Amino acid sequence: MRFRGIGGFAASTLVAGAILWSFMTTDVEFSRLLSAGPRIAEFLGRMFPPDPTVMREIMKGGAETLRIAILGSLGAVVLSAPLGILASETMVSPPLYRTVRTLLAFIRAIPLILVAMLMVGAVGLGPLPGIIAVAFHATGMLAKFYAEAIDGVSRAPIAALESAGAGPLARLRHAIWPQMAPVIARDTIFRFELNLRESLILGIVGAGGIGFYIQTYVRSFQYDKAASVTLAVIIMVVAIEAINVALRRRFA
Amino acid sequence: MSPAVQIDDLSFAHPGSDLPALERISLLVPTGESVALLGPSGAGKTTLLALLDGRLRGWQGRTSVLGASLDPDRPPLRARRPDTGFVFQEFALVERSTVLRNVLNGRLGRMSPLRALMGSSTSHDLETALAALADCGIADLAERRVDSLSGGQRQRVAIARCLAQEPRLILADEPVSSLDPARAAEVLTLLTGAARARGATALFSSHQPDLARRFAQRIVGISGGRIVFDVPTFDLSEEATANLYRDTARMPGVGLRAVS
Ligand SMILES: Nc1ncnc2c1ncn2[C@@H]1O[C@H](COP(=O)(O)OP(=O)(O)OP(=O)(O)O)[C@@H](O)[C@H]1O
Ligand SMILES: [Mg+2]
Repeated sequence: MRFRGIGGFAASTLVAGAILWSFMTTDVEFSRLLSAGPRIAEFLGRMFPPDPTVMREIMKGGAETLRIAILGSLGAVVLSAPLGILASETMVSPPLYRTVRTLLAFIRAIPLILVAMLMVGAVGLGPLPGIIAVAFHATGMLAKFYAEAIDGVSRAPIAALESAGAGPLARLRHAIWPQMAPVIARDTIFRFELNLRESLILGIVGAGGIGFYIQTYVRSFQYDKAASVTLAVIIMVVAIEAINVALRRRFA
Repeated sequence: MSPAVQIDDLSFAHPGSDLPALERISLLVPTGESVALLGPSGAGKTTLLALLDGRLRGWQGRTSVLGASLDPDRPPLRARRPDTGFVFQEFALVERSTVLRNVLNGRLGRMSPLRALMGSSTSHDLETALAALADCGIADLAERRVDSLSGGQRQRVAIARCLAQEPRLILADEPVSSLDPARAAEVLTLLTGAARARGATALFSSHQPDLARRFAQRIVGISGGRIVFDVPTFDLSEEATANLYRDTARMPGVGLRAVS
């Protein structure tokens, strides 16, 4: 992209100014940066070889993360179905869908980890605050996707069925649903993948799952164990992604 | 017997448009007749057919279809709707459903509400749908999804859906626009033949005067929302058709509209 004219000049000045300001006010000690190389090497050295004895903790934490993602996603689907309808242009009046869309944008703007911390404060440690946090956070995106799926439905076949004498439920079943279902399925699977990835770190704030062990081992300088858990997380993420790619192809 | 379509002094403007799409139209179509609507792009053919299908609100005049008068303020009773079948210019099929499911959709108005919702057709519904598929020459496409079909194949599905509905009045909006000349003649034979076989009435629009002559007993020329001629087919002069398209080419705006 090329900047042109006064606006372009103003934008470049602003970007340059922001970078300079960041350097000036942040205490960047280059000496610390220089010594970082050997430190990281040492850190990695202590992580190797990963300690395989934590298999039990990995299975337990991984299963809990999976449960948080599944139940959190389920909660998000349940919340998104009505909110998606209320955020859709074709189902409700402009003041209502605009209000609901603004609300969803606010929900999306709150980071998951923040919601999780608040929930831990509200309901205590464990997977429950994680589940609630995931359900709440994911609804911000999923309800918006559902609204778009509803609005993306072509009207012509609906009118055709109405012209043939089909009632509203029959139109929903045979003209609206066939158009919407694959989009909804794809969006839900996509959001589930994000939920699983994001809930891996929930344990750090005490909201359950495998992240708890990473945090525990790093704090107690057991880097070889932390390494095993991290490896397990990487394998989980890659596996989820592979499964999702395969699933999404089915709904093309 | 009451005529299939009776229109008296009908005028209509689309919402948000100052220009009337139909202006002081009067038309009588006796039961059992096949009538063609000819006219340039933007003449008002689709508008007139949609109005007869009970889909437009806020028109003036008197209109009755199959002996029941239409209400300009509300849609027709659902129970009456299956009797009027419509072939949409843009097909209006459910793209992700199979051909058979789309044709069965034409029967939804004739099923019990529960069956319609569950999509559990009776054997009679299925037979009617399969017969319509066979009539349209697409029995072998029954299990294909509509989004994998060619334009001409979709057009046949749209016609099969209308026939499966077993309407007493067939309103067909350019039903052969996507077919090659031989196929077009074949499908119009089918459409008007099916209408004649069951004593139904057919009103179809077309951009092909030669086909209109071959398949309609009467031809109605429409231009700029007005009826410019309404004659038995054998009375239609070449000159009248030529004028129909020439006149509007001079009308500002109208000649510029692309054929949809
Ligand atoms: N939904 C609409 N809103 C506003 N104006 C419309 C709408 N639909 C059609 N019109 C206008 O009404 C007039 C008649 O349109 P109509 O679609 O009935 O023409 P047509 O004879 O079917 O044309 P074609 O041969 O291109 O299908 C045109 O001037 C068109 O621009
Ligand atoms: Mg048209």
